[in-house]
Amino acid sequence: MLPPTITLLSLVLPLTASAALSADPNRKLRGVLPARRSLYTPTSAGTWKCLNGNKEISWDKVNDDFCDCPDGSDEPGTSACPNSTFYCVNEGHEGATISSTRVDDGLCEKECCDGSDEPEGVCPNVCEEVGKEYRQRREAEAKLRKTGSKIRSTYVIFAEKEKKRLQSSIAALKLEVEAKKKEEAHAKILLDHAESMSQASLAYKQQSPLYQSLVKHSEALKSLQARYQALQNRERALSDVLRNLKEGYNPNYQDMAVLEAVRGWDGLNPDASPVEETTESSEPVAEKEETVDPWDDNAISTLLREDHVSLLLQHDSHISQEDSTEEEGNHSAPFDRIGLTGAVDSVFDLESYVPDSLYPAYENARTQVVGLLTKLGVVRESTTAKARERHNTAINQLRNTESKLYNEEQALNKLYDPKWYGADGAWKKLEGTCLSYNTGEYTYEVCLFGQATQKSNNGGGSHSLGHFSSWNTSAPEGTPEYYSRQVYKHGAKCWNGPERSITVDLVCGTENVLLSVSEPEKCEYRVTGTTPALCFADTADKPAGSSGAKEEL
Amino acid sequence: MWLPLALVLLAADALAVKRHDFKTCEQSGFCKRGRALAARAKAASSTWKSPYSVDASSVAISAQKSSFTASVVSSLYPEIKFELEVRAHDDGTFRVRMDEVDGLRKRYDETAKWALIREPTLSDAISWKQTKKEIKATNPKSGVEFRVQFAPLRIALSRNGKEEVVLNGNGLLHMEHFRLKDEPSPEQPPVENQEGEEQVVMEPPVKPNAWFEGDQPPQWEESFGGQTDTKPKGPESLSLDISFPGHGHLYGLPEHATRMDLPTTTGENAKYKDPYRLYNLDVFEYEADSEMALYGAVPLVHAHSTHSTVGVFNAIGSETWVDVDHPTSDSTETHWISESGIMDVFFLPGPTPDDVFMQYARLTGTPALPRHFALAYHQCRWNYISSTDVREVQARFDQDDIPFDVLWLDIAYAPNHKYFIWDEKTFPDPVDMFNDVAAFGRKMVVIIDPHLKKDTTYPVYKSASEKGLLVKPASGSGEYDGWCWPGSSAWVDYFNPASWDWWQGLFKIEGNNGDFHWRQSTTDVFIWNDMNEPSVFNGPEITMPKTNIHHGGWEHRDVHNINGMLFQNATAQAVMHRTDPPQRPFVLSRAFFPGSQRLGAIWTGDNLGTWEHMAIGIPMVLSNGIAGMTFSGADVGGFFGNPDPEMLTRWYQVGAFAPFFRAHAHIDTKRREPYLLDEPFKSIIRDVIRLRYSLLPVWYTAFRQASVSGIPVLRPQYTVFPHDPKGFSLDEQYYIGSSGLLVKPVTAPGIAETEIYLAEAQPYYNYFTAKIYRGKRSGTNVTVPATLYQVPLLIRGGSIIPTRERPRRSSALMARDPFTLRIALDASEQAEGELYLDDGNSYEYEKGHLVWRKFTASKVAKGPLKITSEDMAALQGGKNVVDGVDVVPFGSQAPNAFRDAVQGVRVENVLVYGLKSRPTKVSVGGAEIEWEFTEGAAAKSSSEGTATILRIRDPAVKIVNDWSIEVAF
Repeated sequence: MLPPTITLLSLVLPLTASAALSADPNRKLRGVLPARRSLYTPTSAGTWKCLNGNKEISWDKVNDDFCDCPDGSDEPGTSACPNSTFYCVNEGHEGATISSTRVDDGLCEKECCDGSDEPEGVCPNVCEEVGKEYRQRREAEAKLRKTGSKIRSTYVIFAEKEKKRLQSSIAALKLEVEAKKKEEAHAKILLDHAESMSQASLAYKQQSPLYQSLVKHSEALKSLQARYQALQNRERALSDVLRNLKEGYNPNYQDMAVLEAVRGWDGLNPDASPVEETTESSEPVAEKEETVDPWDDNAISTLLREDHVSLLLQHDSHISQEDSTEEEGNHSAPFDRIGLTGAVDSVFDLESYVPDSLYPAYENARTQVVGLLTKLGVVRESTTAKARERHNTAINQLRNTESKLYNEEQALNKLYDPKWYGADGAWKKLEGTCLSYNTGEYTYEVCLFGQATQKSNNGGGSHSLGHFSSWNTSAPEGTPEYYSRQVYKHGAKCWNGPERSITVDLVCGTENVLLSVSEPEKCEYRVTGTTPALCFADTADKPAGSSGAKEEL
Repeated sequence: MWLPLALVLLAADALAVKRHDFKTCEQSGFCKRGRALAARAKAASSTWKSPYSVDASSVAISAQKSSFTASVVSSLYPEIKFELEVRAHDDGTFRVRMDEVDGLRKRYDETAKWALIREPTLSDAISWKQTKKEIKATNPKSGVEFRVQFAPLRIALSRNGKEEVVLNGNGLLHMEHFRLKDEPSPEQPPVENQEGEEQVVMEPPVKPNAWFEGDQPPQWEESFGGQTDTKPKGPESLSLDISFPGHGHLYGLPEHATRMDLPTTTGENAKYKDPYRLYNLDVFEYEADSEMALYGAVPLVHAHSTHSTVGVFNAIGSETWVDVDHPTSDSTETHWISESGIMDVFFLPGPTPDDVFMQYARLTGTPALPRHFALAYHQCRWNYISSTDVREVQARFDQDDIPFDVLWLDIAYAPNHKYFIWDEKTFPDPVDMFNDVAAFGRKMVVIIDPHLKKDTTYPVYKSASEKGLLVKPASGSGEYDGWCWPGSSAWVDYFNPASWDWWQGLFKIEGNNGDFHWRQSTTDVFIWNDMNEPSVFNGPEITMPKTNIHHGGWEHRDVHNINGMLFQNATAQAVMHRTDPPQRPFVLSRAFFPGSQRLGAIWTGDNLGTWEHMAIGIPMVLSNGIAGMTFSGADVGGFFGNPDPEMLTRWYQVGAFAPFFRAHAHIDTKRREPYLLDEPFKSIIRDVIRLRYSLLPVWYTAFRQASVSGIPVLRPQYTVFPHDPKGFSLDEQYYIGSSGLLVKPVTAPGIAETEIYLAEAQPYYNYFTAKIYRGKRSGTNVTVPATLYQVPLLIRGGSIIPTRERPRRSSALMARDPFTLRIALDASEQAEGELYLDDGNSYEYEKGHLVWRKFTASKVAKGPLKITSEDMAALQGGKNVVDGVDVVPFGSQAPNAFRDAVQGVRVENVLVYGLKSRPTKVSVGGAEIEWEFTEGAAAKSSSEGTATILRIRDPAVKIVNDWSIEVAF
């Protein structure tokens, strides 16, 4: 604001601070806070006590540009005591307090528009103009805040609705959980029953060499799969290291070993290399790779998930059906004919239609019927498998419902948690809102309370910049400063560097929008933006009298 | 598991210098030949005799009698002619030049032209006397005798009948003459890097010169790291041995990361394997204890003993290796092996360390008086990424009231590393940014590197290319193309005088002559010249091929070490001439050479954030100072790595006591500006930066003295006490100028106290507490508290320290602040001190626009203590006031705008340490003033504890005036 030449010019002034001070009695009060003026009066003996009371000096020594009081209180109007402060009245504007290190340094402080921080004649009084501008800006800001706060109030209403929705959802889910719990208990009883009846014969059947071999095969496959996955992870991690090396290596290091590594990597990954000849030759390779291997990870995993006991029983049933086409045909065929097998199955389905009040009775009856049928050989051991499957299904459903309930309860807890959506839940509205900023080379996207990413605009990859981790922990929880910064951490790791992270600095504005992106430290990003969520209706979004207000002068 | 392990390996690897990128002596043909020659001489012992001799009949003494020429012949090649020239200068130095005459080619003979500030004046008091065997001359003033023995050639400087410097005493002088590649000889065809290996077996032909030259021919071509040096001129190396009989300590020879008292490289128990190498190189992550070459090269040594200090300056610009040996504890032998160039050696007779400093400064110039802001605190980082960032950093410093003067921009401001051009996205408003920083009296420094991106849309390259100002490849035509930050790059040839005018034009801010010039800058912008070794990423040893061609057809080989200095020189001139009248420039360079001290500051390059690097930075800066480069410093915090808060705090305490005080950090490091630290570290660092600011009058005064004398600003113990052998190897403690401040920064973790060596029977005072430490005539160590917040800083009894103690945001804002004088009485209750001030920016001091005061405190027995201020310039009659300038007329009547500007500035505080008794009255000009006295130990006693302190309250005497304060008892 002030050209440095003024500093030099002022140096030429023959006037010194101390000379001017002792000449003018009013200058005794230079720099004194209005509320403290009464403290700056001499005793009848012409002395004065330092404000902390531990030293008495002569009144002449107040504001004489020499520091006498250890608390600095004798020099409110000079720079003699560095631990003191200076008050400028700024008539026509608002008064301000500055550090006494800024008094009489040849520079007109912007905080002191009346120019009182420098000897007379050095700094012009620009308070009228500054005050006017300040008031205009304050008005504009207030207007913005007002508009923003209206939007913000809709966020609060959203949170209220969300609260109700969550509450009713939670109530419904609680009932559902109860129901699912019962279902699970029923299935468990059935399963236990079925299992107890088949335990002995099952144990025998499991001695079958075929079964034993199957179990071993399965274990072997599992072990192979684990090893394969470890190798795959290792390969992926190595590729990441090399890709990062290629993208991030610093040519300053002029390191042939690094260059060799990059070249080697390009050679292994013809797709990654932009060189034409390699892209041509890579096509057939790509085609070859597309031929589908039926034994992909999923297929193997599915295979490994097979219930061997069920298989054993199915196998048994399969073999016995073949055997019994003649011998035992008389047993199964009639049932089949009259559709009893289906009926037995449907016995298990029945339970879903049985009213709760009748369930114990039903259960009893069913157990008896099934027991009878089993004894008769009508219901075969395959029923155990089915019972198990049913029990599994019941457990899964219960777990799903419980986790839904848990999530909803969490959401409700976070809704008014100051660490999350604020005491009035206003931020909830913005959860999942994705804001982006295009720098030309990259697009930065921050999905609030979710993940931040950096995407290359030139077809390069995208990197996670981290997940929402916290608000501004250096400010007291719940304050506007606290909500003016979000921190996203643990993004993709940088080559030879840290995990990427980003801070999102927000101020009040009528829109949710990002305004700038920077990388103050390698892989540590910073975006700025605005949001109505920071527009507070009554109080300023920065408390009055804070350093922020001072800076704006 | 494997992944973290791999990262650890990578990290470990990243923290080591790539030794294999750089040659060892063994891998350098001429160095290997030079060392082999020394080995043969050693083996031959007393039968070894130099083949070089002076033809006595050819001696021709000049009319003035102070110089002579003579023919020199080598018995190895009697047909080759050499000429010797010896000159005696009026300041007592001697110069010995030798060149091959009428040879096939011309050896490079312009090194001195670049290094010397002016052609030295011949003595009119010394005359040569020739006898059959020798020619000699005696300096009637000093009694120093200089003798040139004819056969074999042997040159010796003696004092009081004792030889102190001997050239070719060991017979290692050898100037390889120019020859034809296909010269018929019994030699085998050259085989790459095979010299000295076993294939000699075939047929050992008897070479008559093998006793001296060995039986392997010098190579015409050699390869290293996949690159071949074709050496079109063939072998032309120069070997010299210089001994210092009776001198057991050797200093100088920067730049190496080693102790000030240079460890040996040859002989028994040599510390290092290779000779010290002088070859300006960009050594990535250099070692903290090594003989390897670094960024700068000053072929100057001081040899020291209790009886005298002598120096030798070898004006050579080509790659040079120097072996150092102490055959006995009180003698030194050096062997200098250079790749090309004439012999041009200066003998500096001393006899004190200060004499040698002054003799060297007379030859190569004194350090320039810097801009005042340049002595304050510099804040740098690779990179402040935008003009917003710059403004924020400034605001954060001010918010925490931490002073700084200069904010730096590294390479990231320039898109694609096209220096002078601003990245419009991040720096859309450079001029506004500069003005916002300058509004607080601050400056900015912007990096301009010597490589120009080869891109015809880049006006700087385009214009240099069109004007033909670029360094040429071996072919001698076209443009050399190397790889640096911008990718394919070209280098301006500053050996071409046309490039200087063109370069100056680029820095003009105003005007428009159609050519590109830097309108997007202001006069508050200063320059950082990095990478000027030059660093070339794909070049041999990360620098330029030696076969590149400079102006005048000289090979890069001949001028490599000079090259970086010319870049800084051109930039300094350009910055200086942005305005009319010119203003003092500030240009920081990484490469340097004799003469660089006239141009600006240097720093110790890309150090690591380790305690070892912090510690070695101090001897490195001391060695730089001994070799003239007193305006130097090491990056605070270490360039690479993330120092912990304790290390960073200690590093600030080191930096605050270095002439050049800059914090810098690599792009991969965490930000570490002082305001980011937690307490107590932040406050400790703020205090130490403020301490630096309060002591700026001391630093500036010390620089005035350096600018006049060449005596370094940092004075190692031996220079202050040249007769005390206990101080000869001390390179951790040093004095600041002649102020009497003695500091020993802590460079290790967990320290609570440290020992400081005191070499005299005087009281020293703790700067902060006034506690007395009593020295002894025989020397003694005293224990000084040194916990994290305590800087071991003492005031030597007998000193007066002027300070300005009001904390401000920048040094410019202190210009009107009052002074404090700390008077530390010596054992005889005397003290004196100095203060030099000027506007800190212009050359107006040359016209006497300055304030230079002498303060004296003197007590006569049983009488009063008188504290006086006198006009030092008037005392000296205006002679040699600053930077070699006499100011006439001088005195209170002479116009002095600076004095007028600060005439209101007063002394607000006078502290007197060590008075024997309580005064009765303190008065100025008869008027009594207030004072306070604290009992304690007197200077003139043997009692321990805190000294008596007399605080004189606001005597209100003016700094520009003569005055006297009387303390009565």
